Amino acid sequence: MSRLSKAAAAILVTAALGLTHGAAQAAKDRLVVDLVNEPSSLDPQVQWNPDSYYVYRNIFDNLVTRDDKGAIIPQVATAWKQLSDTEIEFDLRGDITFHDGSKLTADDVVFSVKRITDPKFASPQLGQFDKITDAVAVSPTRVKLVTAGPYPALLAQLVKLSIVPKAVVEAAGKDAFNLKPVGSGPYKFESWQRGVNVQLTRNDAYWGTKAPFPAVTFRAVPDAATRLANLQAGSSDLVVTLDADQAGQLKGSPKAQALIGLTERVAYVRLNTTKPPFDNPKLRLAAAYALDKQAMIDGLLGGYDKPVPELLTPASFGWVDGIKAPEHDLAKAKALIAEAGAAAKAEIDLATAPVFDQRIVQAIQQMLTEAGFNVKIAMSDMATYLKRAQAGPEATSLLSFGRWSCACQDADGVLFPLLHKSSGWSAYRNPKIDSLLEEARATLDTSKRLATYKQVHEIVATDVPVVPLYQAVVIYGAAKNLTFQPTPNESMFINRMSWKD
Amino acid sequence: MPGFLLRRLGQALVTILGVVTLIFFVQRLTGDPTYLLVPETATQADIAALRHQLGFDRPLVVQYLDFLGELVRFDLGQSVVQRVPVTTIIASRLPYTLMLAAGALLVACGIGVPIGILLAIFRNSPAAKAAAGVVLAAQSMPTFWSGILMILVFSVLLGWLPPSSTGDLSHLVMPSFALGLLSMATFARITRSALLDELSKDYVRTARSRGVRSGRLLIRHLARNASIPVITVAALEISNLLAGAVIVETVFAWPGLGQVTVQAILARDFMIVQGVVLLGAFVTVLLNLVSDLLYSLVDPRIVLEGAR
Repeated sequence: MSRLSKAAAAILVTAALGLTHGAAQAAKDRLVVDLVNEPSSLDPQVQWNPDSYYVYRNIFDNLVTRDDKGAIIPQVATAWKQLSDTEIEFDLRGDITFHDGSKLTADDVVFSVKRITDPKFASPQLGQFDKITDAVAVSPTRVKLVTAGPYPALLAQLVKLSIVPKAVVEAAGKDAFNLKPVGSGPYKFESWQRGVNVQLTRNDAYWGTKAPFPAVTFRAVPDAATRLANLQAGSSDLVVTLDADQAGQLKGSPKAQALIGLTERVAYVRLNTTKPPFDNPKLRLAAAYALDKQAMIDGLLGGYDKPVPELLTPASFGWVDGIKAPEHDLAKAKALIAEAGAAAKAEIDLATAPVFDQRIVQAIQQMLTEAGFNVKIAMSDMATYLKRAQAGPEATSLLSFGRWSCACQDADGVLFPLLHKSSGWSAYRNPKIDSLLEEARATLDTSKRLATYKQVHEIVATDVPVVPLYQAVVIYGAAKNLTFQPTPNESMFINRMSWKD
Repeated sequence: MPGFLLRRLGQALVTILGVVTLIFFVQRLTGDPTYLLVPETATQADIAALRHQLGFDRPLVVQYLDFLGELVRFDLGQSVVQRVPVTTIIASRLPYTLMLAAGALLVACGIGVPIGILLAIFRNSPAAKAAAGVVLAAQSMPTFWSGILMILVFSVLLGWLPPSSTGDLSHLVMPSFALGLLSMATFARITRSALLDELSKDYVRTARSRGVRSGRLLIRHLARNASIPVITVAALEISNLLAGAVIVETVFAWPGLGQVTVQAILARDFMIVQGVVLLGAFVTVLLNLVSDLLYSLVDPRIVLEGAR
């Protein structure tokens, strides 16, 4: 027995000693980023999810982009002017080359626009670009886009339109391009070991700001505790999607820091105003009084998120200062519910899915129950939740918790789908709201749009089809030496980061 | 023997077809993945267009026949989310799962079987009882917890092992232990009871009375007879390990099939789930067959049905 255990101990010790060197890492020449999942696809036009965005936005240039403060700035397009209500012309940089050495011209831009707007191509992003009816190459460095009617959110949407090389895509075909994407961005695609990592190398011929790291590795690490451990062990330099507790664990760490940024994502409780009890405006108001936003944020979210009085965040165009929404007032809520009598006693289902913070969902249930509602949590998987949420007022649940981002930082992408009667997401029927939203969508005059959205916010605050809760934060973990500014649209441009030893 | 094999293979085929059919329809009953593929702002028309392009608007029976047709051609279809052939995805992930299962089996057998032997031989000593307690404790820890604990101790605190992902063999150590611990106690227990069972038999007493030494007895006679239940358990444990791998792979960001399956289920990537389930059914059936064949090799007294 003793001989056996000695042998086992000897093996273990040898193994441990022999392996120690494997854990050490040099981080300067290679940035290691831990995502939640691997990108689903690197063809920028066939998918829609954050883990893909993080990676491919470093490979491709877009027509326009946003700076760290959120302003729309030139990228492939240097300037643009509105020719008419429906036509806009873009001047393009003439000095951009794709990673295969070919020049980026107006043809590539036209090709990219037509590819993503072709219904047959069935891009999951089609809905973001389907207002574009035509794209024309006026000259090698000039492109004209035509929209169906005035479309004020066009530039905000174009931030997400990546330019792909026409010749390469046509020669390779859709599937092959997905496996070996070629862009013009600050990083070149190097390799994709499925399930393990995606590796990029710096494009030293990049026309814009060059990145500080010669190479980048994106890894898929689904478990947040593991991402945190990776960071603390020094095996990664930047990790995404931590929660407030995990951010707290980084306090006082000599190696790592938490980076927290307010996003354009707004958390809300949506009410189905077409069915009892919430067809009664007083009970909707009671729900708004019952919900204590600040308590949720302080008690559950680490105090980082920010309460909002309107269904939008300050990061989006359309935000209006000074909207007066019902403040938390339990007594008022109880009084309104007592007044409604039996109408308020019906069972209310609160729809949610596992991806949402269940502590918040439970807090909502508890706060509404305390005020006198009879709320049951209805949990389903994400696809079922989405399907039901978009099924219209007849089928959708009475209450649902959600977090909304249009990834466009424009009120049109938030208010229209959530409130307009034509949208599956809306369980609200108010002709005044419908016409205001249509008006704001059909004018290019920004001050007029703002005034219109102000009216929408005011109606939402008094009629309460939705209770806006808070502007959500995004929390990253980063090595102490890394400088990275989180942005409201949750972009991760490596060439905007810096590193100091 | 060939008769036995043929019959078993026939049964296996029916089993696999049943499993695959079941998973096909059960998955479809839960709805389609289109809603998960589009951004929240997509209109119903966008969703319908994408659904049509992906073929989820066709009648279920048509989709099923299509699927069987592809299966016959060894084509598992294309991932809905990644738009890459499922065979490519499985081929890139399977080696990692096999590596992990092998490592875990090594840990489970390498520690579990010796402990089981010790427990049987020194069954009344306090040391054996203590060892049994330790093994039980190891098995009782939930994997996601013991995994994170290992990462904290060996990676963050001591810096000995890489916390996650893959690379050289050092990356395999912690996942193997985390997964292996689950089966270790099973192996120890089975080995102990099998040995005790054999020890009480007449041939052991006879051999002892003839003066055969304990070590020789153990190796020549006991080990062989006692290994039958252990082999059975090993075959079953491999299936269990594959199931347990789901959590271990998630904790350690180990890029095996378990991880890809969990993601596929969440994203309703039917094609990947079907492919993995098919593979799982195939492996389970195969392992059972192999363990049956191994019995007759180890113990000539066992005669396979239909072999004569």
